[in-house]
Amino acid sequence: MGFSLVVGVFLTVITANMGGYVDKIKIAQITESISVQVYQNPAYQGYTTEELRKLIDQKVELEIKRLGLDKPFIRFDSFSGFFHSRAFMYLANALTLNLGRSEHIYSSSGSKQVWLIIQERLPYSVLLFTTASLLVFFASLYVALILSRRYGSIWDRLSVALAPLSTAPSWFYGIILILIFASILRLLPFGGLVDIPPPESKVMYALSVLKHMVLPLLGWFISGIFVGVYSWRTFFLIYSSEDYVEMARAKGVPGRPLERRYILRPTLPTIITSFALLLIAAWTGAIITESVFNWPGLGSLYMAAISQFDTPIIVGLTVIYAYLLGVTVFVLDIVYAIVDPRIKVGGGPAA
Amino acid sequence: MEPLLRVEDLRLYFRTTKGIVQAVDGVSFELAPRTAMVVVGESGCGKSSLAKAILRLLPRNTHTYSGKIFLDGTDVMALNDEQFRREVRWKRISYVAQAAMNALNPVIKVGTQVAEPLFIHNNLTKSEAVNRVVEAFQLVGVPVDFVDRYPFELSGGMRQRVVIAMALITSPQLVILDEPTSALDVLTQANIMNSLKRIREELELTYILITHDISTSSELALDAMVMYAGQIVELGKAGHFFLEPLHPYSQKLMASVPTLREDKDLEFIPGQPPSLINPPTGCRFAPRCPKRFTTCEKEPPMVEYKDGRKIKCHLYV
Repeated sequence: MGFSLVVGVFLTVITANMGGYVDKIKIAQITESISVQVYQNPAYQGYTTEELRKLIDQKVELEIKRLGLDKPFIRFDSFSGFFHSRAFMYLANALTLNLGRSEHIYSSSGSKQVWLIIQERLPYSVLLFTTASLLVFFASLYVALILSRRYGSIWDRLSVALAPLSTAPSWFYGIILILIFASILRLLPFGGLVDIPPPESKVMYALSVLKHMVLPLLGWFISGIFVGVYSWRTFFLIYSSEDYVEMARAKGVPGRPLERRYILRPTLPTIITSFALLLIAAWTGAIITESVFNWPGLGSLYMAAISQFDTPIIVGLTVIYAYLLGVTVFVLDIVYAIVDPRIKVGGGPAA
Repeated sequence: MEPLLRVEDLRLYFRTTKGIVQAVDGVSFELAPRTAMVVVGESGCGKSSLAKAILRLLPRNTHTYSGKIFLDGTDVMALNDEQFRREVRWKRISYVAQAAMNALNPVIKVGTQVAEPLFIHNNLTKSEAVNRVVEAFQLVGVPVDFVDRYPFELSGGMRQRVVIAMALITSPQLVILDEPTSALDVLTQANIMNSLKRIREELELTYILITHDISTSSELALDAMVMYAGQIVELGKAGHFFLEPLHPYSQKLMASVPTLREDKDLEFIPGQPPSLINPPTGCRFAPRCPKRFTTCEKEPPMVEYKDGRKIKCHLYV
């Protein structure tokens, strides 16, 4: 697991730097800004063009050295060459959560620390998408359980017929919802986190945030619920035709305990897995949905970082996601052993 | 003697994409208390569906479920699902499922599963229930310390015994055993059959034993029912049936049972069992019957033979 995490982060480092191409962009940017500086500096007004060019070249070279851009981005000719390349340095920094400073993006407090920027955005993504994921997850589980009891009923068939509605992404529903509730009816805000100017009292502030959450939540819910219900319903239908479920029915176990003990309990590992993965996926936000709703979470940060080649931010977001995923898988392994007696920790004899 | 179970014109049809499957088609019989009836027939003849119909374990695609079932005088079909669950399930009829290997919940300890009906139906306290489970385990020959094990920690034979213990825990009047030994080796089969026989005599239970293993079931059977294409074709005392089967299908069925150390050509029945979607009109066995004659195109009546057996065949009219 550790190995795949390292490989994943390394690939991100390479990709986010476009295999070293970002260096060229940076050098061009440096050259341009230094040229502008030098030409506009009144101290150099008496210089000839020749002298100016020389000065610029010197300054650019110095800056390139300062930033370490003179060292190769990546090389595979020797081990020591690889370990001294900047790609490896970036990887090591990323893995030790030494996320560094961003290129262009600032936190709202004016800092360029990647860690601070992410820390500032994370709670908003968690707030919106954890709520949304929890809603979708438990609603679809609950509805699916009811539908699996009434296989072939009108509602059951309707749920099957509606499942394709989930092929449209949440931002698509988001745009429609904005059109209806913000543009036409003018009931809810178009986007953002809170009213401008933000309300003074804490209660009003919370209510305002809540009001801004309604549309993105609804969009997320609509796009997730149909396929959620459909897939859990099918899942429960399969597991409710197990022999031991029929046996329990013959024993006269009433409906609710039967579902709890004979359908949910044996399938708990699957349900927990899907829940945990859903949750961490939600923490990284949703890139387009957050952009559509102008929600200041990790998703819109991702969007901004990608469009501005802000490599440290992209790498930082990815490495945090990778660690979250790693920790989740590790915790899941322990949880499995707790909820399912068939899985034992270690090779000890069966109890 | 008042019968324990009286079934009248029981029908259970399933809806499939190809049409309506008439799995149980007008079955009527009576079962005296403290007997053991074996139900035999080929795969797909409706034996298991008959069990499910009596137990009201209806699959999702049930099309028709009709007829009358009287259990010790109670009109079972008149009960709604909740009454049926409370009054009949496991309290009066228990069930040992086909493929009992998978009949236990993999994540609950077997002792808990065996005790579960006591909490549902008898409102026992935990210690009383534990005592009953211990008794039941001893009765079927499962080591008592197995109560704390999970099903995957038990061998196939032990699991089957646990399921039988579970079926006996509430002292029901009727136990329906659907192929209780079909997935086990021969020695374990014999062991379990002997246990079942002993338990029935000790507890004065009534069994319906569904099987296609005629030789093993002959140990236990007092009555015998032969089913073909969803209908009863022969019904009577097991002794009569095993010695001298009357219906041409029963005769063929008995002739196909292998006998050890006897040089006998095993017979088989040519042709396929009929589709239950469009069963043949008239006698359903006629297309494969060596003794058919023109009258077989008409539906045969249930005829009573001189030894009390009932046979659905024109030969005995």
